[in-house]
Amino acid sequence: MVTKTKNLNKINGRDPPKIGVYICWCGINIGGVVDVPKLCDYARTLPNVVLASEYKFMCSDIGQGMIMEDIKAGKINRVVVSACSPRMHEETFRRACEEGGLNKFLFEQANIREHCTWVTMHDVPGATRIAKDHIRMAVAKVGALKPLEVTTVKVEPSTLIVGAGIAGINAALDLANSGYKVYLVDKSPTVGGHMAHLDKTFPTMDCSSCITTPKMSEVARNPNIELMTYSEVISLDGYVGNFKVRIEKYPHYIDQNICTGCGHCTDICPVECANEFDLGMKPRKAIYLSFPQAVPGEYTIDMKHCIRCGICQETCPTAAVRYDDKPEYVDITVGTIILATGYDPYDATRMGQYGYGRIKNVINALQMERLLSSYGPTEGKVKRPSDLKEPESIVWVQCVGSREFTGKGRKYCSRVCCMYATKQARSYKEKHPNTQCFIFYIDLRAFGKGYEEFYNDTAKNYGIKFIRGRVAELLEAGNGNVIVRAEDTTLQRPVELEVDMVVLSVGLEPRSDIDDIARIFNVTASKTEDGFLMEAHPKLRPVDTLTAGIFVAGNVVGPKDIPDTVAQAKAAASSASTLMSRGEVEIIPYYSTVLSHKCAGCKSCISLCPFNAITFNEIEKVAEINDILCKGCGTCVADCPSKAIIQNHFDDIQILPMIATAIPKKPQAEEVEVE
Amino acid sequence: MSNDDLKFALFLGCVIPNRYPYIERATRAVFDKFKIQLVDMKGASCCPAPGVFRGFDIDTWLVIGARNITIAEELGLDIALMCNGCYGSLLEVNHTLKYDKEKRRMVNEHLAKIGREYKGTVEIRHVVDIMYNDIGPEKIRNKTKYGRKKPLNLKLAIHYGCHLTKPSEIRPWAKESENPTFFDELMEISGCKSLNYKDKFMCCGAGGGVRGAFKEISLDYTREKLENISTANADAIITSCPFCHLQFDLGQVEVNNIFKDKISAPFNIPVLYFTQLIGLAMGMTPEELGLIRSPDLKGVPPFTPVKPIITKIGETA
Amino acid sequence: MSSQEIFDPYILGIFCNWCSYAGADGAGTSRMQRPANLRIVRVMCGGRVDPQFVINALMNGADGVMVSHCHPGDCHYIEGNLKTVRKMPLLKRYLEQFGINPKRVRYIFVSASEGVVLTEIAKEFSQEIIELGPNPIRGGN
Repeated sequence: MVTKTKNLNKINGRDPPKIGVYICWCGINIGGVVDVPKLCDYARTLPNVVLASEYKFMCSDIGQGMIMEDIKAGKINRVVVSACSPRMHEETFRRACEEGGLNKFLFEQANIREHCTWVTMHDVPGATRIAKDHIRMAVAKVGALKPLEVTTVKVEPSTLIVGAGIAGINAALDLANSGYKVYLVDKSPTVGGHMAHLDKTFPTMDCSSCITTPKMSEVARNPNIELMTYSEVISLDGYVGNFKVRIEKYPHYIDQNICTGCGHCTDICPVECANEFDLGMKPRKAIYLSFPQAVPGEYTIDMKHCIRCGICQETCPTAAVRYDDKPEYVDITVGTIILATGYDPYDATRMGQYGYGRIKNVINALQMERLLSSYGPTEGKVKRPSDLKEPESIVWVQCVGSREFTGKGRKYCSRVCCMYATKQARSYKEKHPNTQCFIFYIDLRAFGKGYEEFYNDTAKNYGIKFIRGRVAELLEAGNGNVIVRAEDTTLQRPVELEVDMVVLSVGLEPRSDIDDIARIFNVTASKTEDGFLMEAHPKLRPVDTLTAGIFVAGNVVGPKDIPDTVAQAKAAASSASTLMSRGEVEIIPYYSTVLSHKCAGCKSCISLCPFNAITFNEIEKVAEINDILCKGCGTCVADCPSKAIIQNHFDDIQILPMIATAIPKKPQAEEVEVE
Repeated sequence: MSNDDLKFALFLGCVIPNRYPYIERATRAVFDKFKIQLVDMKGASCCPAPGVFRGFDIDTWLVIGARNITIAEELGLDIALMCNGCYGSLLEVNHTLKYDKEKRRMVNEHLAKIGREYKGTVEIRHVVDIMYNDIGPEKIRNKTKYGRKKPLNLKLAIHYGCHLTKPSEIRPWAKESENPTFFDELMEISGCKSLNYKDKFMCCGAGGGVRGAFKEISLDYTREKLENISTANADAIITSCPFCHLQFDLGQVEVNNIFKDKISAPFNIPVLYFTQLIGLAMGMTPEELGLIRSPDLKGVPPFTPVKPIITKIGETA
Repeated sequence: MSSQEIFDPYILGIFCNWCSYAGADGAGTSRMQRPANLRIVRVMCGGRVDPQFVINALMNGADGVMVSHCHPGDCHYIEGNLKTVRKMPLLKRYLEQFGINPKRVRYIFVSASEGVVLTEIAKEFSQEIIELGPNPIRGGN
């Protein structure tokens, strides 16, 4: 339930504003460009400003102390801080005001750093002009601000985790073991994500499934975790602490309560199609189990390929096949959400010169993992696709789709490829010491704990040839061999090798459905940069998003190795836990209110609200806004033809004065002062 | 667009009128059969050559290229050309001047001195582009199916060359820049098959001023290409560029001479411009297509004998 | 006073908090320099932008106004920005009737990671406004 205090918008009486302006030097960030004391002089000339002070770092204890003292001394009842962006320190200064005894919403921050001195570093008169304008605008707004109270809402002690790879699994276990209810959802029929594909993991050469499968089982057994595989989140409503989620559970066409997992159906099914788990290298039947250690061990019918011959239905010993199975919809309410949907490997067909998809014996690294894996398509014996011969020579091509500035791939480095190629080459050489293995690289990035040692050991003791030079092209020779052309930049000469097989070390990309994920969960996928989901702050808030209550972990935010993924998963679980353990969360009250005496009952606002927060009161014939559902976008405010809707903190009475004072009354020419 | 609508200003360039006139002859003959009109461009000069001129001074290259384009603009016709090099020059000059206001201003300042103005109103088309996109392989296949009593059934080594496909973004086949197939599709007529030989998309060696300045190096390229084509057992080399054509035709004789100690046997692979092959498929005689040279004429192509093909394909109609 | 040399355009920006204001912050953090012409008013959502704001700004003497919010489909409030997408073109048509050159109003989409884009547009817009001259209200043409 919701605790909130009265809507104070209706209270009109307030003291005339006594504004205190505090200008920050921010070291030399601001002070090195504009003359701060002169700005203070200017601030004192503005209407209702009773004092103007300056300090090197307003966000420091001393800086905040200045504000608190002046409030306590009764000198001021409105505060303007001219410093960095409010997106940095608005909360800091609001709290300072509160501690001083002033309602924390009677504060405004003028951005004279990010929007001023940092973008006009060498134009002092220009920067000064803009700083003065921003200060003047902030003073005009703060004078019109009204005191507000935060809204407190209860937080449901449950979490939705989207994606059951190693990140989702770890976050789920931590939260479940803390006593919270966890819904773990994954699109695939099994949990495990990409780790289930891998053979060994660097630098320890741990078998990937050996370390993953115990966690997979734990997640299925844990009483606090409700596992929903082969399911997808289709809609999200609500707000932090009270997210209303609708999940679609795809039909398996098999009654899981009756199926014993005997596998008879798979043996009998006449249809063969591409096996996604083995990345197309081995067929599977239309009725199948993803892989032997799948959790849950649920058989599924892939209806896209099923021909409904009915043989499995007839012969199933427990009659578990149900062709008429339908999707099921589940509605849940959770307090927090963690997105851990992972990555897609770069599609190497986009690099025409490497012939992926054209030249049979050019495969990508994930396919190589499957070949190396003991439960892979060839049971751990690496065989090349064209003739199933065990290769005598293999080349790994690094940076496929990464560090790519021609538009065919991504600009960033995918972090893990240097290490996984070294690991794969080492794995292969261990079993076949007399083969030739080459890795063509640009740089060898071995940044993590034990990585450099691993690379060093591999390079010295396994006879793998590391050649520095980006591969230019791959050609098909006769008999299936692949010709590799590159430059050995260390020896400064071209290199041409004919080898049995080539492995492309493909980079890690955002999933192809990342935009859908961003849209459903109302988080941002960075548009111009790497395309991954954006964290709230790249350094200090790596697992938060700007949407309160939604956290991110793992490769959905950017490429990373397993230790970092697990660390982020645990971090996200911790953040979610913090929110849920308090039991309630504060929401900033930027909501809007309809002034019923002005409302004409035209109903224009009702259809505008993206959150369905506006309803029509049939008795009074006026619109009404639910101030919990209202998120404060202000769209209805802008559109009301009668100007009957007011918004807390961003109302016309606050914005129009900013616009009115933005342009100085005196003509431009006289504004230019010679410093 | 029906065939009757197709009318172009034909840009000849240098190599064709000066050294390989049969390329123009064959193209005109074939285009005539497809009812495509080709109008002369009076006063056209060297394109100018994309490797040499652009390499020395881009502004000069732009102005001379623009001047050629204005001739077609005055005729109100798109330009059709038969040379990869001219294509590289004129297409890229046209593209640059359409979008770069500064360069356009500079060019028109110079052109004003001779009473001309670049307006950006025409497109530049290679004849391969016209045949593939405006006529289409389907139509060509139909028209050549019964052109002869016996189909040609030749194994072809198609040489795309360089400027035909790159830089790919502004060319009509941008999507297949790494592995184009359009020229192969065009040539698979009358039973002919296009072979996949090693380094099919490698340069012939002639362009970029290399043949002029470093002849032996340019011929070394050609030697490598000829070896790969020979290994694939091709009956003929098909070109879309007179300079590549020269490099394979005259160049083959030069390679046999200069590299005689390096190669296992002299090369003897006939070289055909692609419209000559289409002409043959339609039932035209080798004489009509300029493939037979009177023995008393020196310095006139073809230099690598075309006889092996003539013998292989037998009679025409 | 109408001397072009000392004319520094007065451009007012109205930016949404989640995308454009963040993008402008990003441009600042990366120290992307631009001419000192743009002042920014923060609203929570592009949907909050009332055409009244733009008109008031111009009537008060702004030489140019820049309204910026999230790309359609990315609005933090789902579709607030879509309402503005409908309003702005209409507003520009009416500006002509007010005797104001509609080129003085720029309507753009800038996301939180697009500091570069914003800087480029700001530079371009400044140049355009210089060519258009000061706001007629303040004695230009």
